[in-house]
Amino acid sequence: MLEKYMEKDKRMTAREAVERFVHDGDSLVIANCLYATPYALLHEIIRQGRKGLTVFQQGGIDELDQLILGGCVKTLAMAYNFRVAGERIQTVLERALRRGEIEIEDYSNYTLLTMLQAGAMGYPFLPVMSGIRETDVYRVERAFRGQKFGEVTCPFTGEKVVVVRGRNPDVAVLHVQRADKFGNAQLWGALINSKWACLASKRVIISCEQVVDEDTIMRTPHLTLVPGFRVCAVVEEPWGAHPSELLGFYDYDMVFRSLFFMQTMSEEGARAWMEEWVYGVRDRQEYLQHYADRFGLRFLQELRAKPYPSIPADYGSTGRGAWDEKDMSFNFQMNREEFLAALEEKGGFVDG
Amino acid sequence: MVKYTESEIIVANAAKEICDGDIVVIGQGIPMAAGVLAKATHAPNCIILTEAGLVDIRPFRNPLHIADPTCTRGYTYSCDMIDIFATIVNRGLVDVTFLGVGQIDRYGNMNSTVFGDYDQFRMRMMGAGGAPEFFGYARKAVLTMRGGKFVERVDYVSSPGYLDGHGARERAGFPPGSGPKVVYSPRGVFRFDEESGEIYLHGVFPGHTVEEIKKEVPWDLRVADEVVELPPPTREEVELIREFAPEISAGRRLQLELSVPRIMEIISGKGI
Repeated sequence: MLEKYMEKDKRMTAREAVERFVHDGDSLVIANCLYATPYALLHEIIRQGRKGLTVFQQGGIDELDQLILGGCVKTLAMAYNFRVAGERIQTVLERALRRGEIEIEDYSNYTLLTMLQAGAMGYPFLPVMSGIRETDVYRVERAFRGQKFGEVTCPFTGEKVVVVRGRNPDVAVLHVQRADKFGNAQLWGALINSKWACLASKRVIISCEQVVDEDTIMRTPHLTLVPGFRVCAVVEEPWGAHPSELLGFYDYDMVFRSLFFMQTMSEEGARAWMEEWVYGVRDRQEYLQHYADRFGLRFLQELRAKPYPSIPADYGSTGRGAWDEKDMSFNFQMNREEFLAALEEKGGFVDG
Repeated sequence: MVKYTESEIIVANAAKEICDGDIVVIGQGIPMAAGVLAKATHAPNCIILTEAGLVDIRPFRNPLHIADPTCTRGYTYSCDMIDIFATIVNRGLVDVTFLGVGQIDRYGNMNSTVFGDYDQFRMRMMGAGGAPEFFGYARKAVLTMRGGKFVERVDYVSSPGYLDGHGARERAGFPPGSGPKVVYSPRGVFRFDEESGEIYLHGVFPGHTVEEIKKEVPWDLRVADEVVELPPPTREEVELIREFAPEISAGRRLQLELSVPRIMEIISGKGI
């Protein structure tokens, strides 16, 4: 049975969220792809030294490299990972694969996410576009050998259909613009994998720029991507996706990312980066303080988004209830008193 | 005549592959620059979408990636990756897809996963990403090549071209008429024989020769009976590209050379 999370107030620190909800050997899905990467939560997972994770990586820039450098990853199901270096330079992922530290399974974007969609819907498998059969994405199997793709015959047309298995990761980490303390999480901008990654998972940890009141959520329910009853922790973490971007809050930090790529071209540089930006700070606040000390606060301020607000959707209606201000019924041509009299006379009350 | 760079002539010519009213799937880099150029010139009614779930985007600067803030100012349909692939790509609605080439073979099969043996690889590229389905199901795939390689046989088939050729693609069940149609390299343009699916040299860019291009291909490349000379970009095209995507005009090496000093200054703590 899928667990519901009904606590009214799930606010906690990233440290507490990871202590309670991320365990060694878990399968983990990074529920943002390219956009709004949940770095604050991922860095906390690394700091707490989680090991043996199976990671579902839709597509990322450098967060996967950081998890690998942290020694967290054992198995990797991946569709896309950004690369800047040319052939002569070893990336973090390449070094780990060559040393046999991690096992990999390559997917396409669609086939990877369909596993999570099937998982989110509670189905054992779902069809994918069968042309994948003609690629090595289909033919070459490693970490998920025997469980990567399957084929079924359509009972209606007799057509052979390629399917992927439904997957339910233990935990999803997602960064969003805002959530309430119950965990109703609102994300806008590129939605990519976020909904399916979260709904597939047994536990969902949300970090957000702002915890807002329930009324804000109730007036904008179309922005809620993950309902609170599926969320086990809410972490308020301003700049929680830096150096990636979050609409309405900040742009990506190209210089900081370049620093990572330059340093991680060597083993020692990579270790130094991790020491400085992950292990050397206690939490996101210390990270931001260190950033300000090192580069100047002004540089962070330059990344701040300028407003480009959405036009509010009007959820208005007549708002009429069952009884109006004069006690007239919405449904019947009578007032409350007349209705109660009719009920008394003809209502067929149950005896006793 | 206007001076132009290698990337600019690719972008200007590739843009012409988009017709007005096309639905176009595009990735970052040269493909995006071509899409935006087309929309700004001859194809104002094309709809550009990315697999990030962003439909009808109008990026105001060349994006770093397909979900960044330059793509998300004023788009008309916010959906997700499942919606893009299942309800748009799988339904045959994509007219053109633009992809960059890592490795490509005689029959237009593409590799964006790994160079060399899968386990004892020489290099890992970024991965298949959206390419297998875009390549498989778009009506037409347009490829741009900067730094990519022609090989007799790709080390890993990330995306299906004409497979072994001679109708293999249709027999495998891909939509009739779909597949890679054209490859733009800095020196010339290649197309695919309709019968065999084999790639051939269709045209050369000004200043380049058939012999020079044949040397880059490790088999006896077929050449069109009449090789066309492709036009250089116009002044307007070059100006539009530099307005929107100056770093694409510059190319990777110059881009790096020009951006490193500022990065170094900030990193060294001198601030900005």
